[in-house]
Amino acid sequence: MSEKISRRDFLKIAGTGAAAATVLTGCGPASRYVTREPYAKMPEYTMNGQSTYYATTCRECAAGCGLVVRTMQGRALKTEGNKYNPVNLGKTCARGQATLDGLYNPDRVTGPVKKSGKGSQDFTANATWDAAVQVVTDALTKNKPAEVAFLLGLAPDHLFDLVSDLCTALGAPAPLRYGALSLFEARATLGEAARAVFGKPDLLFFDLAGADVTFSFGANFLETWISPVAYTRGFANMRRGNPNKRGYLVQFEPRMSQTAAKADEWIPIVPGTEGMVAAALGSLISEAKFGVASAAFSNANVAKASQLSGVPLATFDHLAKLFLGAAHALAIPGGAALGQTNGLENGKAILTLNALAGNLGQPGGVFFTPASPLGDEYHRPANAKELGDLIGQMKSGSIKVLFIHGVNPVFEIPQALGFAPALSKVPTVISFSSFQDETAVLSDYVFPDHTGLESFGYQRVPTGSGQSMLSGAQPVVAPVFDTKATADVLLAAVAKAGGSLASTLPSKHEVEYIQNKLGSLLTAKDGFYAASEIESFWVQFQQFGGWWKNTPELGTPTASLDTPLTVSQPEYAGDGDFYLFPFVSPVLGEAGANKPWLQEIPDPTTTVTWSTWVEINPKTADALGLDNDDVVLITSPAGSVEVSVYKYPAIRPDTIAIPFGRGHTAYGRYAVQGQGVNPADLFNSQVNPAGDLAFGAMKVTITKTGKQRQLARLEGILGVYGYATPAK
Amino acid sequence: MSHAHEHAHEHQDATPKALSATGKWGMVIDQDLCTGCQACVAACAMENNLSFIGEDDVAYGRSMQWIRIERYWQGEYPKVSMTDYQPMMCQQCGNAPCEPVCPVYASVHSASEDLNVQVYNRCIGTRYCANNCPYQVREFNWRDWPLPEPMSNRLNPDVTVRQRGVMEKCTFCIQRIHTGENTAAAANRDVLDGEVVPACAQACPANAITFGRIDDPTTQVAQLAQDSRGYHQLEEMNTLPRVTYLKGGSKHGSNG
Repeated sequence: MSEKISRRDFLKIAGTGAAAATVLTGCGPASRYVTREPYAKMPEYTMNGQSTYYATTCRECAAGCGLVVRTMQGRALKTEGNKYNPVNLGKTCARGQATLDGLYNPDRVTGPVKKSGKGSQDFTANATWDAAVQVVTDALTKNKPAEVAFLLGLAPDHLFDLVSDLCTALGAPAPLRYGALSLFEARATLGEAARAVFGKPDLLFFDLAGADVTFSFGANFLETWISPVAYTRGFANMRRGNPNKRGYLVQFEPRMSQTAAKADEWIPIVPGTEGMVAAALGSLISEAKFGVASAAFSNANVAKASQLSGVPLATFDHLAKLFLGAAHALAIPGGAALGQTNGLENGKAILTLNALAGNLGQPGGVFFTPASPLGDEYHRPANAKELGDLIGQMKSGSIKVLFIHGVNPVFEIPQALGFAPALSKVPTVISFSSFQDETAVLSDYVFPDHTGLESFGYQRVPTGSGQSMLSGAQPVVAPVFDTKATADVLLAAVAKAGGSLASTLPSKHEVEYIQNKLGSLLTAKDGFYAASEIESFWVQFQQFGGWWKNTPELGTPTASLDTPLTVSQPEYAGDGDFYLFPFVSPVLGEAGANKPWLQEIPDPTTTVTWSTWVEINPKTADALGLDNDDVVLITSPAGSVEVSVYKYPAIRPDTIAIPFGRGHTAYGRYAVQGQGVNPADLFNSQVNPAGDLAFGAMKVTITKTGKQRQLARLEGILGVYGYATPAK
Repeated sequence: MSHAHEHAHEHQDATPKALSATGKWGMVIDQDLCTGCQACVAACAMENNLSFIGEDDVAYGRSMQWIRIERYWQGEYPKVSMTDYQPMMCQQCGNAPCEPVCPVYASVHSASEDLNVQVYNRCIGTRYCANNCPYQVREFNWRDWPLPEPMSNRLNPDVTVRQRGVMEKCTFCIQRIHTGENTAAAANRDVLDGEVVPACAQACPANAITFGRIDDPTTQVAQLAQDSRGYHQLEEMNTLPRVTYLKGGSKHGSNG
C-alpha cells in the first residue's frame, strides 16, 4: 500500500458495495487506486526480498563453532550453524541460537564511560573515544610495565594474541585468561594429567563416535564441556552412526545430569572417588586381560574403592567385563572428577584406562587435538593458583592498572579468592565489557567492545575438529551502539604512545593485525583454499568463516602401564552432612544469564526457569522436613546461600547440587530478574596439585529457613493459580 | 501431559506405519539421539518471534514455547531413570481436535499444505482449541509481552508478530515451506528432499529431527517414518499426527 487509507475512507469503501462504482469516483484519487489485501495473506505467505548471510564465529563460549547469520536491511535475524566449519558442521546449541539476545540486549554499554567511581551503576556514555584512547595510552605508558596487567576471556584469540604481543613489547607480564567454564572443566588439571600420562599437556579429543563402550567420569559433553556441539555429534554417531552397533555409555556422577540421563547406565558415586573407581576398574580389567594387574593399577584396592565410592562390588565386576569386552572402549575425565583435592590423580587414573583399552590414536579412542595453524602452543586458561597470584599482587597495590576483557571475574571467580576486594586496591580498572556486568560496575572506565556478531577476529579450536583450523569472525551487522573494537583501542593507544612500542606493533587497526597474522597461511600446505596475496585470502576467510586443512591431523598419544598410580582419598572442606555438587547450567553456560530467552528455556532435567534451585533427594528432603520450593540456607566454610528446594529423584541422598549461572547483582535486567544465587559463593580456596580449585570437595549444611519461594517450572504442578504442592 | 512414553513400549511390535504415509509434510524425531539440549527450543523462539514472558507467568504455566522437551521419571533412587527426552510440538494432526471447536475458523486445516494452521486475525481468544488439544501444544498470549528496544531488530519479517488474546502454535515453519516452494516454482522444479528445514531441525546438534514430504516414499523422512521403532503420540485418539517418534534405547542394527 503506497498511500495510507484512513478508517473513515475504509468504512466508506466497505459500505458502498458492488453496485456503488459511481459513488466511488467521488472519493479522493488516492483511495481509488488502493488495493485492499485480506490479512489472510500473512507474512508467512509473502516473500520479503532477499536476505544476506554472513559467516562468523560464535562467541558464547570458546569452542569456536562457525555461524552463518541471516541479516536483512542491516538487522541480524537468525543464527544458524556454518555447515563448512569442521567443529559444528552446521549445528548450534541453544546459546548460539540466543546470541542475538546479546547483540540487541537493552542493557548494553552504549558508549565509552568514565565512571563517577568504582561501584557506580551509572553507565551513561559520557566520554569520547579519543579520550578513551588517551586513558589507555596513559595507562600503558605512565606505569611501570610490571604494574600493568591484562585479564582476558577464552575468546577471542586474535585479541589474546594482540595483547600478548603488546605485553611482550611493553615488558609487562603475559595476559591471564579465565572463564568460569574453564574452572568447572578444571582445564589445568586435564592438561597436567595428559602431561603425566601421555607426555604432553595438550588438549585431548575423545572419539565418542567410534567407541563401543564409554566410561564418562563426570564429563558433561552434551551440555557445556569444552566443545558440546562437536561432542553431541560424536554422541549421535556413537548411537546411530554405524548400522551394526549402538555405542554404550556409562556415566559416573553423583547426580543424574543431562548427559547422564542419556547414558545406558548411571553410576551415582561419591564426589572425588572417580579416580579410585577408575583405578579399581583398571586393576580388574588388566587382571582379566593379562592374568595379573598392570603395574599402573597395582596400588588399587577394589574393596576400599567400593566402600568409599558407594559403588557395589558386583557393579565393579559388571563394568570391568563391559569395558574388557568392548572392541573400542573409552574413558573420559570430566571437570567434576578433576576439581577435587585428588583431581590430578583422578585424571591420571581415568586417562590410563585408555592406555589399558589400547585406544590411543585408534578409532573410538583418545587423540591430541591438532595444533592450531597460528602458533602451535596451547594457551591454557589460568588456574586458581595463577589467579590467586594476580589477586595477591592487586591486593598489595603492585598492580596499578588492570585491563579486563571477555570475562566477568567479579561474578565468575569464586568469592573466596577475593577478586572484588582486590579490585578496589587497583588505582585504574579499565573494563572493555559490552554489558553492564558486575566487573564493569566495579571499574573506573568502561570502554565497550563490540559484541561477537559486530566483530572481526579469529578463534583457535580447543577440540572437536580433526583438522588444524582457525575459525574466522566478521561483523554481520554495523555496530548497534557507539562501541569500538578493543583491538582498535589498544592499537590506537600504541600508535599514540609512539616510540619502540609503536614500531613493534605497527598494525594500524584490528583488520590489518589479523591479516598480518594470517600471512603465514596464504600458501600453507593442504589448506582448503590458498591465495597469492592477502586480499584474495581474506575474502575467502570471511566467506567460509575461517580456514582449515583438508586432512585431519589428530595426534597419537603414547602411554605406559608400568608406572604405579596412587589415588589418595579425597579431602573435603567443611564438616556438613552433605557433599556439594556444583555444575554449570546446561542452558546458561557461564555468561548466558543476560539473555532473556536463555533464562526462559527450561533446565533439561528439572525444567526450572529464571531461578536457581538446590537439588535434594526426595527421601533426604522428607527426612529434613523439606518440600519443593522451601527456601533453605546452604552453608559452607566459605559462605552461604539461600535457595529454593527442588526434590530431585536422581541424586545421591548424601549429596546436593546447585547450578552455576545465575545469581547476578548486575549484568542487565534479565540477569538480575533471574533471581538466583551463585554456588561459587560457597567454594573454598583450596586447590589441587595442578593449581585448579577443588570446587567439588565441599561438605555443606542445610538449614530450614521457613520461607518459601516458588520455582517457575515448565513441568506440571498442581494448582498453578495459588500455590499448591502436588499430593504426596 | 501425555502418557506417550508408555505407548512407546507398547508398540514395539505394532505397526503404526500406515498412518505416517498420509499428509503432505511430516517429521520424524529420533529419541535415541535427542539429548534434551534445548537448541531446538531456542532456534524456534528466534525463528518464530516467540515472546519470553518472565518468571511469574512461567510459574502460572503460560510459557510460550512452540516446542518443548518433555521428560518423565521412573522408579526411585537408586533404581531411578529418566524416560527419553521427548520434544513435543504441534503434531499437525490430520484429524485435529482443535479444529472443529473453533467458533471463528481460526484453527483450520490448510488444503494446500495439509497442515493445521492458525489464522491470527480471526482468533478471538476463546482458547477452546487449547482446551481440546491432547498434546497441550497451543500457547496463548495472555499479555502483550514487553520487548524492550533494540530487541525488535531481531524479529523475523517472515513471521507475524502476535498480540494479546491470540492463540499460537508450531507451524512446521510454514514460512520456510513457502520460501522453499516459491524457490522451486521459480526454477520450475519440485521441492528437493532436505530443501525445506524447520528451525528446530536445522539447529539440532544430534540430528534427531528429520523433516520433509511424508507423501513421497523416496524422502528420508518417509523412510525413517517406517522404522520399526516408530510410534505416534496418543495415536489411539485417531488424531492422525504427522510426527513420528522413534523410541530410544534399543540395540541398533537389530531392527528393533
